[in-house]
Amino acid sequence: MSPVVHALVIGIPLVTFLMGGAAVATWWERRFAGRMQTRFGPNRVGPAGLLQPVADALKMMQKEDIVPRDADRTLFNLAPLFPPFLVIASAAVIPFAATVGTDGAFEATGAVAALDIGILWVMSLAGLMVFPVWIAGWAANNKYTLLSGMRMVAQGISYEIPMIMTAMVPVIFAGSLSLSDIVAYQDANGWNALSLSPSALVGAVAALVFFLASLAEANRIPFDIPEAESELIAGVMVEYTGIKFGIFMLAEYLHTIVASALTAVLFFGGPSGPGPEFLGIAWMLGKTGALFVLIYWIRWSLYRLRSDQLMDLCWRVLVPLSLFLVMAAAVLVAGGFA
Amino acid sequence: MSIYEQLRERFDLPEEPPEGEPVVIPVDQHVAFATALKEAGFTLYVTVCAAHFPSVQPKAKKGEEPPPMTTEAWEVATVLRSVGTGSETFAWRVRVERPVVPTLYSLFAGADWQEREQYDLVGVVFENHPDMRRLMMPEDWDGHPLRKDYAIDTRVAPWR
Amino acid sequence: MRTFPARVDPHFDIEEYDPEADLMALNMGPQHPSTHGVFRIKLFLDGETIVKAVGYPGYLHRGVEKLCEKLTYVQITPIFDKHDYVAPMTNEQAVNMAFEKLLGLEVPMRARVLRTILAELQRIASHLLWLGTFTLDIGGTIGGGASLMMYTFREREMILDLFEMLTGCRFHYNTHSPGGNRHDIPEGWETAVKAVLDAIEPRLDEYDALCDNDIFLVRTKDIGVLPPDLALELGQTGPVLRGSGIDHDLRRDAPYHAYDLVNVKVAVDDGCDCLARYRVRVAEMRESLRLVRELLTMIPGGPIIGSKPIKSLVQFKAAKGQVYVGIETPRGELGTYLIGGGDQRGAAPYRLKIRPPSLHAVAAVEYLLPGHMLSDVVTVLGSLDPIMGEVDR
Repeated sequence: MSPVVHALVIGIPLVTFLMGGAAVATWWERRFAGRMQTRFGPNRVGPAGLLQPVADALKMMQKEDIVPRDADRTLFNLAPLFPPFLVIASAAVIPFAATVGTDGAFEATGAVAALDIGILWVMSLAGLMVFPVWIAGWAANNKYTLLSGMRMVAQGISYEIPMIMTAMVPVIFAGSLSLSDIVAYQDANGWNALSLSPSALVGAVAALVFFLASLAEANRIPFDIPEAESELIAGVMVEYTGIKFGIFMLAEYLHTIVASALTAVLFFGGPSGPGPEFLGIAWMLGKTGALFVLIYWIRWSLYRLRSDQLMDLCWRVLVPLSLFLVMAAAVLVAGGFA
Repeated sequence: MSIYEQLRERFDLPEEPPEGEPVVIPVDQHVAFATALKEAGFTLYVTVCAAHFPSVQPKAKKGEEPPPMTTEAWEVATVLRSVGTGSETFAWRVRVERPVVPTLYSLFAGADWQEREQYDLVGVVFENHPDMRRLMMPEDWDGHPLRKDYAIDTRVAPWR
Repeated sequence: MRTFPARVDPHFDIEEYDPEADLMALNMGPQHPSTHGVFRIKLFLDGETIVKAVGYPGYLHRGVEKLCEKLTYVQITPIFDKHDYVAPMTNEQAVNMAFEKLLGLEVPMRARVLRTILAELQRIASHLLWLGTFTLDIGGTIGGGASLMMYTFREREMILDLFEMLTGCRFHYNTHSPGGNRHDIPEGWETAVKAVLDAIEPRLDEYDALCDNDIFLVRTKDIGVLPPDLALELGQTGPVLRGSGIDHDLRRDAPYHAYDLVNVKVAVDDGCDCLARYRVRVAEMRESLRLVRELLTMIPGGPIIGSKPIKSLVQFKAAKGQVYVGIETPRGELGTYLIGGGDQRGAAPYRLKIRPPSLHAVAAVEYLLPGHMLSDVVTVLGSLDPIMGEVDR
């Protein structure tokens, strides 16, 4: 199968799944938050309110598209295009299914492009995410969006360090940068974060740090200081109206889904799990869903940190800890414990 | 010894506190009076209330010459409070014929906004106040709305 | 002895400090989700650190004091429902107590006990709303703060239902009058109150659990430190003053209504920061629950309004003089400085000055904010519990 056909055959369902998933996620989050807060959430449009995302999208498309008079028009209109693109592109290397290979061994498949340097691909795209947000914050020519953009850049480049460091822990264990190899290693030796081997201790802490860092990268509470509607109203999205605002929101949900999927692949075995291989896709979706629920559970329970406290947490706790974890993983591998 | 008796030793006050209204003191003793009260334990700044008394024609009794017009005056009443068990308030007034009264800002930081509000609404200027701007009304507002001669039924601005 | 940083001079010249205008001047408000109404703060920011803050109230100024000069004493009560719209019950009490003092009216014992119960219930309702909005300021509308706000509004609604049983209105009660109350206790009201108290008490523990986490602590501890001497000078009262470690509560120190019948335990916290103000208010809610329970057993029989014909203009004509009366509302000392003998042939006040605790509270932001980060603006402002309707009147 040529790579182009392969990419289309797997890529179209993947993009459809992510887009549909993000739409359902908005509905689900509002229902979930409603239940947490002793209210109902949207339940009027369609069965159990399921058509609410459609109604929201239609509403946003009808809204007047306002560009502030003093804004940089080109950049202002360009900025919302990038976040969904970057997020979906980073999802391309994530293996969503499992098969039995020709030699009878477990093989993680289902990635649109099973790159050998999959993890570098994901991390470099995650690094690019700060640019559209900064562009949006700059272009709107509003003090609130500017502050929000600056916060986003500071937070994005700080939290990338523990994120990349801890992503190196599974890489060291598996001896490969390919996400498929990392899953295959976990299928053979137990999940990185949950197994009986001594390496699971390092893996579990690394999973926690990675999870926190990806919360910060995806702007989720308690790390959502760029949005911070208590003081910055809506952060970079202050001046955006209609569907441009909607695209930013969509990208946030996509980012959360991809961050959950990545955590599941790196630390919780991804599509690997008990039972036959065709269940792999169910395992993957289940793990991603569980982490997704966890993110929103945290979101609706906790308060928000201040920006300087956020930086403190990153540079004083997470960065040293992740350095230590990388060293510990190397020692474990060199000593033959993993 | 009650606080009134203590103050009477230092200031020129009537023998008994007036019934039903705060004591009036001369305006030049205003700050010294507040200082004495603060030293006597009235440390909580409660409020300041300015009132405008326009020049009016008192009603004449039947068959008599009408009495002369009263002079326009402003009264500024200040209230302080002692804190803790047995808390009580002490209020005094100054009565002036020109709306200028010394500020209490150096004694009580809270007088800042309170006196600005009274200046804004009644038009009493507090001397030596660091920042005598309007507090409630727009900066370009004409007049002081709580004065008795302020016409509330006429249109004062083009947008109304 | 705790030492506090030197007091900020709110009037320092920013142009002298920053001649090149390198600082960012950020207008927070009047249309801003976290300024509790329409308060505007002009911030001079160095990065995200506040160098100078200037407050601008007045966007909700409705001229209540001027309006009162045109109305008779009985007509004024409903206006006071609208000025602090979170605690209307205590507003009515404050202004009616001033009228009673000026006019020399006696309030029957039954009305006094009823007023005490209403004031304490209103205190719980007001503090519940404050707790919800305060956590909303810290946690955001999309976040944990919103969850707690939904819970506290649920409990507040129960108390509003009690008020509705009594007065027929959820919010603008108009139940007080010079000389007593208009609405007597309906049948079954005491049982309903007890049921509501029993429902609220365990839930306060749940709220404590929701606020007992590290993020809440680091966001509130040592933020917005208000030294006791500055608090007194600024005229802070209520939970803000008690959160600065000053043991002062008019309910105990200058009892009015029926507070001399009960033993009010005053909550004081000497932390002087946002956390201390939070703790004081939560402790006050528990104390109010206890007080209402105790007072419910003490309601005497008899009339709820004095026998004098309060609507008679003849009586009001005699009302000359100047009085000041202050009572302890949920936000602090709400006072009324009243000069009698005005319009309406002497039946309207000549001058009525409201002493709003919230105006004194928001005046403190100019002292509290410099040195803090932008995110702390909402925490500090929220912890002062300002109600803009009361600030601007």
